[in-house]
Amino acid sequence: MNISTELRQIGVIARLELRRAFLSKRSFWVYLLALFPAVIFFGHAIEVKVRQDRWSREGTVQPAVLDRLNRGMTYNEVIKAAGTPIRDFEWERRRRDEDDTVRMRHVLLFDGRRRSDLTFRNDLLESVHTRPLASLDEDRQVFAGVFQFFFLRVAVFFGCLGIFLNLFRGEMLDKTLHFWLLAPARREVLLLGKYLSGLVASSLIFVLGTVLCFAALLWANDPVEVQQYMNTAAGHELFRYLLATVLGCVGYGSVFLAAGLLVRNPIVPIVIVLFWESIIGFLPQMLQKLSVLYYLQSVCPVSAPVEEGTPALVRLLLSPAAPSSVWVAVLGLLGLTALVLYAASRVVRKIEIDYATD
Amino acid sequence: MAVYKRGYQRYQGPRTSHLSRIMVMPRFSWQRLMGMKITIVVLAVSMVWPLMCAAFIYVANHAELWQGMGGDMVRFLNINGRFFEVFMNTQAVFAMILAAVAGPGLIAPDLANNALPLYFSRPLTRGDYIISRLLVLLGMLSLVTMIPALLLFVMQVGLAGWGWLADHWIYAWGVFGGFALWIAIVSLVAMACSAYVKWRVIAGALVLAFFTILAGAASIMNAVFRVDWGRAVNPALAMNQIWRSMLDMEPLEGPGAWACSMVLVLMGLTLLAALTRKLRPVEVVK
Amino acid sequence: MTAPEIIFDDVSKFYGDVLGVNRVTLHIPPGITSLVGPNGSGKTTLMNLMVGIIRADRGALTVRGISPDHPEQLMRIVGYATQYDAAPRGMTGLEFVSMALMLHGFTQAEATRRAWAALDRVSLTDAAKRKVGAYSKGMRQRARLAQALAHDPDVLVLDEPLNGLDPLVRAETIAAFREYADQGRHVILSSHVLQEVDVFSDQVILIANGAIMAEGQIRSVREEMHEHPSQFILHCRDAARVASMLIGDAHVSEVKILDDGAGLLVMTRRRDDLAAALSRIAIAGIEIDGVIPADENVDALYEYLIGGGR
Repeated sequence: MNISTELRQIGVIARLELRRAFLSKRSFWVYLLALFPAVIFFGHAIEVKVRQDRWSREGTVQPAVLDRLNRGMTYNEVIKAAGTPIRDFEWERRRRDEDDTVRMRHVLLFDGRRRSDLTFRNDLLESVHTRPLASLDEDRQVFAGVFQFFFLRVAVFFGCLGIFLNLFRGEMLDKTLHFWLLAPARREVLLLGKYLSGLVASSLIFVLGTVLCFAALLWANDPVEVQQYMNTAAGHELFRYLLATVLGCVGYGSVFLAAGLLVRNPIVPIVIVLFWESIIGFLPQMLQKLSVLYYLQSVCPVSAPVEEGTPALVRLLLSPAAPSSVWVAVLGLLGLTALVLYAASRVVRKIEIDYATD
Repeated sequence: MAVYKRGYQRYQGPRTSHLSRIMVMPRFSWQRLMGMKITIVVLAVSMVWPLMCAAFIYVANHAELWQGMGGDMVRFLNINGRFFEVFMNTQAVFAMILAAVAGPGLIAPDLANNALPLYFSRPLTRGDYIISRLLVLLGMLSLVTMIPALLLFVMQVGLAGWGWLADHWIYAWGVFGGFALWIAIVSLVAMACSAYVKWRVIAGALVLAFFTILAGAASIMNAVFRVDWGRAVNPALAMNQIWRSMLDMEPLEGPGAWACSMVLVLMGLTLLAALTRKLRPVEVVK
Repeated sequence: MTAPEIIFDDVSKFYGDVLGVNRVTLHIPPGITSLVGPNGSGKTTLMNLMVGIIRADRGALTVRGISPDHPEQLMRIVGYATQYDAAPRGMTGLEFVSMALMLHGFTQAEATRRAWAALDRVSLTDAAKRKVGAYSKGMRQRARLAQALAHDPDVLVLDEPLNGLDPLVRAETIAAFREYADQGRHVILSSHVLQEVDVFSDQVILIANGAIMAEGQIRSVREEMHEHPSQFILHCRDAARVASMLIGDAHVSEVKILDDGAGLLVMTRRRDDLAAALSRIAIAGIEIDGVIPADENVDALYEYLIGGGR
């Protein structure tokens, strides 16, 4: 059997599997996972647009007024300078460790671009928090965090788990794997065809999620700022995010495909992979290279922000010790995938139909 | 005389009680689960932290062991709400893993093999079925949550005396009630996953995914909208807020214990509705 | 040139501690070969071994010279209708058959054409565009049969192929098997319906507890079973006289006149001696209308070799 016949078989297997991967009810939750961040980002964009519109109508203050606000000013002084605020809310607070009741007040001011959240304690300005209603830089940071902490670690991880585990273990559980084994194709061809279908399906679904997220991010922000970003870093950053998404599917896909062949109960490998991917920051450089996340984080263009107050130990977990270059990351991940697929091909050659025990 | 009147006589003899009938399924399930290696491994691993906590209580109640140490250590070696909160947070993770292992085998096989009509053709209602399955998880999960927590509490009372009990009885209520709520949520998640996913193994993965994904979703909402109410969507964080309230601790930033309770109750009701919708005494041919 | 065979050479298969088949050595020539044995005897294991979806723990086997280790070659010449009742989710009968054909390398158009032809052979064209999951048991059986036949294989392996088929389709299917076998191909099937097996099989393999009890043409297998006397029914007008002539012969163990008096049942330990005795009777002027073997069928073989395990 020549190479072209085998390539054609891989194509046929992938095509037949693709329809199942895209259209089956089981894929529905993968779409949810992939599109959820985009929905939230679009929600944010709509919220920004609505607020911009409403607050502008309700009355804006001069930008200089916002810049002059200082702690210690009285409520009356602030109102005199700023005029009627957009929101003015008063309440009483009594903490367990405090004897007296404190009168608290939250005031919101808007200068057409920035919002200022003022907190008064007994009518004295206690804190001023001024920030743009929408900030592209801030949103990019948020996107970086969402992409690395949710998209790669959760959505792509569990999405690939669902898609790739389904390819062999799912067929075993459905008692339909024998149909594939009865095809006049080498088992390795079957493995590659199925892997390819999972890869195409997962990549397309998650790439769509990333692109929509990115589009929502841009939509929420000031068009001038966005244009400037588009002219400079946007293309490069989007490319790197998409690359990380596809590589995530390549890496996690191979791991879960192999896991589906090797073990009957995938909970054990899931927990192990999840645990391994989490502690990788603590491990020596050599071992870090055996993690999918290590390479993916190296491909991401913007470092994910870590929340203030996060313990040092957790901070370590959230970022790789020494990110590699993009090329090393891509080649490393492809190498890791090839290794895992090779191991899977050894197993698939010997795979037997044994539905009774599943 | 009609043939059926001569050929059929309904059983008129004594029957076991309703409760006893409900307990039939948990009895068999516990036996099966205890025969599984993975259950034993998870149970064994989840006992490590309670043992460490027991050692901590012992040390905290023997001042002679840490005499001469600084004030920080004295403050650290204190059995208070924080101690029980940390204990509960850790054991809650093991409860989740145990539910992922034990839960999916409860309903998924019955649905996959069209066994529900067999159950419901006995004197057993849909509610009984759900309760009996919940009891299985309640029994299993309390092994790693309530029971060790209450044992630790009893140990502390034994070492610190009745005076400590009078001042801190609320911790007993906190760990018992707090864990009961967590078990209820985790069990409902595990059972719903088991009811909707035919494959036991995938249902187990889905239990873990449920908590991980909601935690991620909550973080996204907080980060993108620059708010903190998203914490209520994360069952673990919401539960932690409730526990802090039950253990008489300061609430964390974000939605309070009542708001978190409301979200969890809503989540529980949704899961229960989803569960009952799926459990129908009919054979579904696909 | 020798005919291509399916060869099992000392093949054993265990499922953990459970015996599948034990030290099976077989040479199966072309034609219709039926695997007969009680449930759990190892029939499906033998078939699964043949197509490589399970692997032998010891021994070797080849199907027309090809090892199951090379599915890319083997499955081109083999069509297997399994007993597994599940079908891939969401597929119609037509897709189910054409999917397999496309994996064989047929273009979509050719695969569709062949799929229609195969579905026509099993009378399933009306339901071709319905989901296999919604088929009845018998229809799913026919769909599997169509998939096995569609690429026109040299070896057809069929696990309980007649289950669930209505009488008309059953007869057509058996005729199709016969046609296949007459072209020098292999048709290996398992069946519980012994009377049917008797009618269409060229050879049988009797299997019990994972071991081969007997193999070959039914008559030759029967001839090898010396411990069970052969039974013949002699149709004649003067049954009482014939009985008296036979009863004294050493090879005859039992003679029984039929209830209607139109013949008798003779049990003999040596068939040749019975033939000689019948010549003698004929020379004596007694007319014998017919001699019919009464236990040269799978049913009897099954009873003798395996017992009441059906």
